[in-house]
Amino acid sequence: MKKLLVGLFLLTLGASCLIGATAINPFAASPIERDILLSLRLPRVLFSAVIGAMLGLSGSVYQLTLKNPLADSFTTGAASSSALGAVLAIAFGLPVALVPIAALGTGLIGLITVYRLSKTNNVINPVTMILAGVVMNIIASSVISFAKYFFEDALSSIVFWLMGGFFVVDWSKLLLCAAVLLISYLLFTGRALHLNMLALDEHSAQTLGVNVNRLRSIAFVIATALVAVAVSHTGVIGFVGLIVPHVARGLFGSDMKQNLFFSSLLGALLLVLADAVSRSIIPGGAELPVGIITALLGGVFFLYLLRTRRERFWHG
Amino acid sequence: MAELRVSKLHFKRGTFCLALDDITIVQGEKVAILGENGSGKSTLLQLLCGLLSGHGRISYDGRILKNIPVAERALLFALLTQTSEVIFPFSVEEVVRFGRFPHAQGNNFSDEDDELTEHHLNMLDLSALRDRHFSQLSGGEQRRVMLARVLNQKAPIIYLDEPNASLDIRHTLDIFELLTSREETVIAPVHDINLAERFFDRFLLLKRGTLLADVKRDQLTPELLTETYDVQVACGAAAFTFQHQ
Repeated sequence: MKKLLVGLFLLTLGASCLIGATAINPFAASPIERDILLSLRLPRVLFSAVIGAMLGLSGSVYQLTLKNPLADSFTTGAASSSALGAVLAIAFGLPVALVPIAALGTGLIGLITVYRLSKTNNVINPVTMILAGVVMNIIASSVISFAKYFFEDALSSIVFWLMGGFFVVDWSKLLLCAAVLLISYLLFTGRALHLNMLALDEHSAQTLGVNVNRLRSIAFVIATALVAVAVSHTGVIGFVGLIVPHVARGLFGSDMKQNLFFSSLLGALLLVLADAVSRSIIPGGAELPVGIITALLGGVFFLYLLRTRRERFWHG
Repeated sequence: MAELRVSKLHFKRGTFCLALDDITIVQGEKVAILGENGSGKSTLLQLLCGLLSGHGRISYDGRILKNIPVAERALLFALLTQTSEVIFPFSVEEVVRFGRFPHAQGNNFSDEDDELTEHHLNMLDLSALRDRHFSQLSGGEQRRVMLARVLNQKAPIIYLDEPNASLDIRHTLDIFELLTSREETVIAPVHDINLAERFFDRFLLLKRGTLLADVKRDQLTPELLTETYDVQVACGAAAFTFQHQ
């Protein structure tokens, strides 16, 4: 099953390189087409895979550490508060390298505020968390709007960036994101068993020898770093991290040793597909921002979860 | 031998205050904590586990609890919490195997861990449920799964917060017989006085955060219980008594 899925993923990677404004036949490609394939489509497809994996991985960790099946970078407010930091960094004309760092800073502030607000007597209330996340989104969006209004000089670059998607991809961006993904993935898989214990209540996990607060803090920082780096390069792409961990759990069980891998893989698969759709759905070469597609899919999935898990939310 | 010593323990939260002078519990003792709701039973358990910290000194084998790293504590004692949850669909077998976490090397469980997991699944009558998801089980079944996890931890001291909560009478008898026949020290708040009297050999009587008495079974008198619970307790034949068939 694992091999099958990896095979399917690689096939999708290859196939989606051929899709776009013009379909390319790889066996009869002209030199220009070959150039498009290698220097435009391939990095873009790889980039969407890496970003998808980052979002899927962060979602898997958020859902477990926050004990909330509705958690992901978007619903916790982490993505939009990261976006806020990135926008401010752009507005103040900071060097490009500092944009992800500013995003991580505000992303962590946003996430921890939401976490603190939703925790009473050592228990995280999932409903309060979603509400706090929504409000965090609103606050971050309003400050971003203010920045757009106030920093007229930077307006075009902010707007361009906010639209999200994979319009401009180069190998250095791709390498940076892949490196962050790889390091985070290794850090998480090294602690997969520890993370599993967080599925228990806090006291049980603690008496099993897990330093719950420390592990949760580490997980928050790494997961938010994934989100911040992803957001700083592609804007907010919501809900990938919400959907894929559930699908991975349904197919391969909840054990984090499996879930970390499959959430990353399925996240990559989902975003590659969504990007392929966004590149080809409008005839004549125009593109749809990929966030629209993931938000549509994710929104419907969110409603489905809300319906099936409502019992636990209101009584838990 | 794992000896538990508590001296001059003092803990305050809001208007509630728990103070204990001196308790020593030797390896293998079966200690029931009795007291009305809010008398500090669960708080005491959390203090003993280091989940709360108060003033005073708690030590295991002469080592002060505060100085023992969290990972090492899991080899000294295990805790069954009053309520338990497992978020996301983990199977019964997986949850019981969680108990081997303190012994796992790196990211993997050993063959011994698997054998012990198997052993404890059988011991608590859970083999038939092994592939079911924890959240799909009834309250009593969930309780047994958590108990299996706690025993699977193989710690010399076991803390059980109301071990028979939501268990039927047959499983209650099973579990109390099982627990009290083992070598581990068992320390448990228990609400059912008759069951406590039958299975435990030492009793800590708590009232509003103070230790009213620390007695052996033969010293557990109706007068003492009357004072503990503020209800008239008399000794007589119960309406029903329970034995295994």
